[in-house]
Parts: sequence; C-alpha cells; structure tokens
Amino acid sequence: MPGTNGQASTAENEQPAETGEQQQRDEATRAEESEATETAEQRVARFERDAMPLLDQLYGAALRMTRNAADAEDLVQETYLKAYSAFKSYTRGTNLKAWLYRILTNTYINGYRKRQRQPQQQPTDEIADWQLAQAESHTSSGLRSAELEALDRLPDTDVKYALQQLAEEFRMVVYLADVEGFAYKEIAEIMDTPIGTVMSRLHRGRRQLRGMLTDVARDRGFLRSEEREVSTP
Amino acid sequence: MSCCEDPRASCEDVLAEVWLFLDNECDQERRAALRKHLDECNSCLEHYGIEEHLKELLHRKCGGEHAPAELHDRLRSSIRENVLRQAEVTVEDGPEGASVEVRSRPSSSTE
Repeated sequence: MPGTNGQASTAENEQPAETGEQQQRDEATRAEESEATETAEQRVARFERDAMPLLDQLYGAALRMTRNAADAEDLVQETYLKAYSAFKSYTRGTNLKAWLYRILTNTYINGYRKRQRQPQQQPTDEIADWQLAQAESHTSSGLRSAELEALDRLPDTDVKYALQQLAEEFRMVVYLADVEGFAYKEIAEIMDTPIGTVMSRLHRGRRQLRGMLTDVARDRGFLRSEEREVSTP
Repeated sequence: MSCCEDPRASCEDVLAEVWLFLDNECDQERRAALRKHLDECNSCLEHYGIEEHLKELLHRKCGGEHAPAELHDRLRSSIRENVLRQAEVTVEDGPEGASVEVRSRPSSSTE
C-alpha cells in the first residue's frame, strides 16, 4: 500500500494489546524491509560474492548431467540467470549451494533435457540390462585391494565415463553424495524425492558403478585376465 | 569372533549399514555401535575401508571441474545487463500504485 504508510498500521492491524508484541512485529517488518529494499546493485554484489564462487561446482554437475561441455555451459548459464532473478526469495543463511543445485536440477529436468542438442543416448548406446545385472553382481565385497589399486590408476576420464553410463537418476544421486558430499536430506530436496528414494538410488547406483569400474580396470589391463569372471565371446 | 555375536551390531548389520555409516547418516548411538564393531572386527573394517576408498576415489576423479573463464565473464555481464533491464521495467509498470517493490524506494517524505 503506497502512500498509506502511517495509517495502514492502525487501520489494518488490531490495536496492539501489548507493546512488546507490537515491538516484535515492528522488528520483523523492519528486517523484511531491509531485505526488500536491498538495491539491485547490492543484490548483484551479494550474488557475485556468494553464488559466483560456486560456479565451478555447478558446472561440474552440469557436465555430469548433460555429458557435453557446450550444453553444460548453457545449462549453467540458464541456472545462474534464474537464480539471480529468484535471489530475493532465497532465505539468507540457508544452504545456498543446495538451493543452486535445486535450480540446476529443475532447469535440467523441466525443460533443458527436452531440447538438448545431443539426443538422449540411443538404445544401442544404453547399457543393456544384462550388463547392468552383471555390473551389479560385482559387489564391493568382491573388490580386493588389487582391484582398488587398479581403480586408483585409472585415468579420471575413465571414471567419469563410467559415471556417465549410469542412468540419470542414479548418476545424479551418486554424484551429489560422493563427489559433492551432500547429505541424503539435501539430495532429497535437490531432486525433490523422498529420502528413501535417494537411498535406494544411491545403493543401486553405487553398485552398478563399481561393477563398471572394475570392468574398465580389467579392459585397460590393470587387472590380470585370470581375474576376469565373465568370459566374453 | 565374539564381535559377530554383538547383538547391537552384527557383521550383517555392518554390511547393511556401511553406507549409512560412511555417509554419516546414522544417529550418534547407532554410529557408536557400528564404530565399536568396526574396531573389533577385521573383515568388516576391511570392507568399510574399501567403501571409504571408493567414495574418496570418486570425489577425487570426478570432481574439481573448472568452468571456462569465458562463461564466468558472460554470466557476470548478463546479470549486470539484467539489472539494468529490470530497473527500467519496474519504473514502467505500476498503474494502480502496486509498485511497492520499486528499487528507488519512495521515502515517507513524499507524504
């Protein structure tokens, strides 16, 4: 209500019974006002100070989502522009990183994915079910120290590639938990799913991933062939 | 092994909950029980070590990307541009005085 500043409070609010209550209300209003009256310049400065340093991390996540650099750049750009325009609604002191990841995920799922340059992987590219089953059959307890050493020696690109092979919902949960170190509750918020879903996706995702990594290590010759469990025709 | 008979955290429990433990998602009491088991049971500890190693490996090999500097610059200038555009827009509309959120806020001295 512009121009009625002085009257509005008496006209619309009931008479304050206690002055303490009134005072509290005033303080709350003042706090709100100070956020609302932040100038655009101040908001830009705050955004640059708090949100821009997270750009590398968001870009990394976007790369894992889109699987190519050009799309990742576009996705991050869209995310940051959205984040900036919604920055007023971001509650200060809450988890900014999770807030940004949520925007990133929403942007990706609710639109971006549909018009992605690179089409979703063709069925032939997708890992066949039998491969998944095979991958899942290597449980971590089957991993020995020789295998761990082999995985350590794998180039980053191989590990990234294996992660990319996971179905999207598994890939993102594993990425958020293991690479970014988010708590389950945060992942649930970012992905807008119940915590139970996060846990089961994480479980399946991790099992599949380590199976694939073990296979890659074998293919690269980091593991000796007699350790191969499934012979290929 | 006596540890495996511990009713509070058997080897089976540890296997089932190793990721919760690793991800720091158990409550304190549960964590202490699992920790105690790990301290006493070599095979579970070894299993846990592998899980821990794998998590760390993923973090090391799949993290640490750097956004191109050019993207950073582009974003910075887009946001600045946006601010200018927004400022114009808010001055434009507000026909019935609903423009409470105008940046240059109306001071009470106008009344």
